[in-house]
Amino acid sequence: MKPDPQRVLEQTALLLALDTAAAVQPRYRQAGVGMLAALLIAVREEFDRAAARRVEENAVLRELFARGASIVADAALAARLRGAAASHDESLRVPALDASNQALRALLVALHAHVEALATPEASELDAAIWLELAASTERRKLSLGAF
Amino acid sequence: MADLAERLAAYAARRLPSARNLRVVDLDRIPGGASRETYRLVLQYEQDGEATARRLILRRDPPGSLIETERRLEFAAYAAFFNSAVPVPEAIWLEEDPAHLDYAFCVMQELPGLEAAPALLLAPPYVQHREKLGAQKWRILGEIAKSDPKALGLVGVMKDVAADACWQRELDYWEGVIDEDELEPQPVMRAVIRQLRANPPPPAQRISVVHGDYRTGNFLYDTDGVIHAILDWEMAHIGDPLEDLAWGLNPVWQWAKDGRAGGLLPKADAIRTWERSSGLVADPSALHWWELFSCVKGQGIWVSSAREYQGGKNQDPILAMSGYLMTNAQDRAALHLLGKLL
Repeated sequence: MKPDPQRVLEQTALLLALDTAAAVQPRYRQAGVGMLAALLIAVREEFDRAAARRVEENAVLRELFARGASIVADAALAARLRGAAASHDESLRVPALDASNQALRALLVALHAHVEALATPEASELDAAIWLELAASTERRKLSLGAF
Repeated sequence: MADLAERLAAYAARRLPSARNLRVVDLDRIPGGASRETYRLVLQYEQDGEATARRLILRRDPPGSLIETERRLEFAAYAAFFNSAVPVPEAIWLEEDPAHLDYAFCVMQELPGLEAAPALLLAPPYVQHREKLGAQKWRILGEIAKSDPKALGLVGVMKDVAADACWQRELDYWEGVIDEDELEPQPVMRAVIRQLRANPPPPAQRISVVHGDYRTGNFLYDTDGVIHAILDWEMAHIGDPLEDLAWGLNPVWQWAKDGRAGGLLPKADAIRTWERSSGLVADPSALHWWELFSCVKGQGIWVSSAREYQGGKNQDPILAMSGYLMTNAQDRAALHLLGKLL
């Protein structure tokens, strides 16, 4: 399947921004075409890494949950963490990876809130590791057109 | 478009019963204002034998918008600040009955020949005026911070709030927006919200009008670097003036990516200008709380816009862009403020 999807998205974005937009009136529609071009650039960047960043992140989260299961003071949460740590991504299709990523990130919210309330050194270390993962998660999602 | 012009002319005729031969010409939808459809137009009519042509702006609610807002509050804010130290265009008509133009709308004075786009400030002839614009921007915000909502007649139109309750009302509201509209979990913002609740700010030094979206992009400027109007008051409310200062300092508005607040001034200069103008002190820890809060509020707006687009209520690409570009940038801004960005 050639040309590559990234190439198609990039060329389409350039065509919209540099050619089509200039011919479109009124101004608000012209601005809309420019916005579509920028959106395609963002989608192109995301397309390239979509599966990779989700697989990487899901693996990191499962490691955190395996660690957290032995630290948390709540038996039900510990069981959820063990279950999530033992889970696997059954498919590399993006919607499937997204579904597992969202379930894991929801569990991360619960784990983080729980760990913050614990006063043990292990909990403090896990809290720091979670913050590192949160920062890393924004690096994985960073887009070249992003505002910050 | 012709139908809209005719319907608006019919509405204007009811509003101006002594006007004759009234018509709407040059109706043109313009970019800007993601929360409203915005049109430029000329209203022509004869009154007392004299021909009149008024350049106006029509802002009409779209089926779905970036910010769910109360247009009545926005209109009241424009009316309250008209002819004051805070420059705003004249607010002329507010119509909430959808019978006239299908959706609620307002009509305002047009200030022609001015720009609002932040991107233009990155190049000549505007780039050399960034400091001048920044000084005005933060001085005017100080004027807004000095405003007395009661004296302006805004208490009642806007909900009043006690000095020690501002933070909680705003945080409750925007956390609720994220609860309702998030398309995926938000672990960064959830952690920020827990920190904000655990460490509330001191009571507001003064209760004032809060613009609610005071940033570069929401004021009109000319080629000489003069600000002529503050726009987009749809999120205006009564509250702690530090909220506006912090919102304007939000790192996601660093358009030039050079660390300047709002792409205009170094952060310290912006704060000093605001303090001189407002007569208030931006206590660093209180300001830090409000800056973190501004990230929660920003995320509330971005996740709402993403939901609008995903749900098909509004296919404006700016809503999808908000989800793609701003959601992660907002998380990064919060992590930066917490000193946790890699």
